[in-house]
Amino acid sequence: MTLTEAIIHYTYFIMAAVMGLLLLRNFFKREKKLGLVYDIVYIYCVIPFLLRVLYIK
Amino acid sequence: MNYSVMDIVIILIAMVIAFVVCSKVLKSTEISMAIAGVVAVIFTAAHGWTNEPVKIIVEGLFTNLDLAMTFFFATLFINIYSSSGAMTAVTRSVVSHVNNKWLLLALMAVLMIIPGAISGAGSVSVFVLGGIVYSIVRFMGLSDKKASAFVFVFAIMGAAAPPVNLWTMLMTAQANMPYVGFELLLIIPIVIAGAFTIIYLGWGSKRTPKEEILATMPETDAKLQGVGGLVRILLPLVALIVMFVLTLVIPFSFPVLGLPLMFVICAVIAIICNPKKMSVKDYYKILTGTMDQAFSLIATVLSIGIMQNAMAASGVKGLIGTAFVLLPFIWIYILILIVGPFAQGAMSYGSAIVIGTPLIFMFNTAGMNTTVVVAAMSLMFPIGDCLPPSRIVGRVTLETTGYEGSYMSFLKQIFLPCLVLGLLALLMLVKPAWFAFLA
Repeated sequence: MTLTEAIIHYTYFIMAAVMGLLLLRNFFKREKKLGLVYDIVYIYCVIPFLLRVLYIK
Repeated sequence: MNYSVMDIVIILIAMVIAFVVCSKVLKSTEISMAIAGVVAVIFTAAHGWTNEPVKIIVEGLFTNLDLAMTFFFATLFINIYSSSGAMTAVTRSVVSHVNNKWLLLALMAVLMIIPGAISGAGSVSVFVLGGIVYSIVRFMGLSDKKASAFVFVFAIMGAAAPPVNLWTMLMTAQANMPYVGFELLLIIPIVIAGAFTIIYLGWGSKRTPKEEILATMPETDAKLQGVGGLVRILLPLVALIVMFVLTLVIPFSFPVLGLPLMFVICAVIAIICNPKKMSVKDYYKILTGTMDQAFSLIATVLSIGIMQNAMAASGVKGLIGTAFVLLPFIWIYILILIVGPFAQGAMSYGSAIVIGTPLIFMFNTAGMNTTVVVAAMSLMFPIGDCLPPSRIVGRVTLETTGYEGSYMSFLKQIFLPCLVLGLLALLMLVKPAWFAFLA
């Protein structure tokens, strides 16, 4: 059970990384919601995923 | 620290002004909510109530992180599942085999309720079955507006239905009450309001002839026919239901997967069951497309998190809660159907804690049956899932169904079914003794 929980724990880090990378990709290369306002939205949305992946929070 | 009610009222007003002005100028609800939160944090820091304003904002981003991940991976699962042609196969099969409009609508309503009832979140119902149910009820002659309303109303009913009603769970946990005796109290009003919704939305619609419907739909892949095809279609959905059920039945023997991981597992099963040959590039396209599709929702829930945390830190959350629960009973009865859903729109599940729990103690001191009171409030809060600023389930529904009309026209369409559910809940709140036998 402990091993399973550890696997789940690390899987969530990978999932957070996937989401963070996709958000970063869309920040640089997106077709919808262009403009400075959404640049800011994208950037603050990346923050929690980045902090999670870097094990800061 | 010196807290004054007037200071908190000023912060609340500043938040509202910031939200309204930013919504008008920047034309983005997401950033407007975040800015409203930042304004509250600035005021809080200026009053000297916090030394770490940035921490409040960053921690706020984590408040709904799990919800953001659930939205993304649920959408990913459904997009992968749809890419295999399974959705079309299910729709074709249902349309071919069930001829009675009312029976089909009732069947769709029950189907919509199940994922929400098991997971406790209306958005899950919309993600998992919203697309299929929308297509089928459209073929039953319902307009796009009515079909979207159908999906939304049954999604919120799913969230309110037992066994998992998160509002009830939160309130009972805070009030030291057992989570027991809510099944009938929650199901019966949902059945009544659900029957009304089916009749109200389905009345006057004419089912398109079966042949016409089938002619407009793409052909089902040969590998999705027969018993093997049925396994391919059902396995990802069955796997999801099995995981939901196991989490409830054997919680101590089954690992805590969490909804996002459950959807990832189902997405992997959907890839294995996919009869079409798809390359890694095709799946990468689905992945990036999903982020495009789900981004506004992800941004919304993360921004709400900033606002929620800022409201808690500044005292606005507590002010709203105490201001409401200190009202005389008659005013609580008059206002609860407005305050409850709007609190849900602003604070999400926090509404149960801020408004629900103090009301339990209030009604308890008046000698009323608190189990009925909790059930009544748990039926009211989900209605607010279509209300600003968050409108989470409302937005998920419209994005899933692709409804292009105004949000207000959608709200008008769902008003009556929601009102019926709300009035039934209000009756339970006013006269809990009448319903005590169901507890």
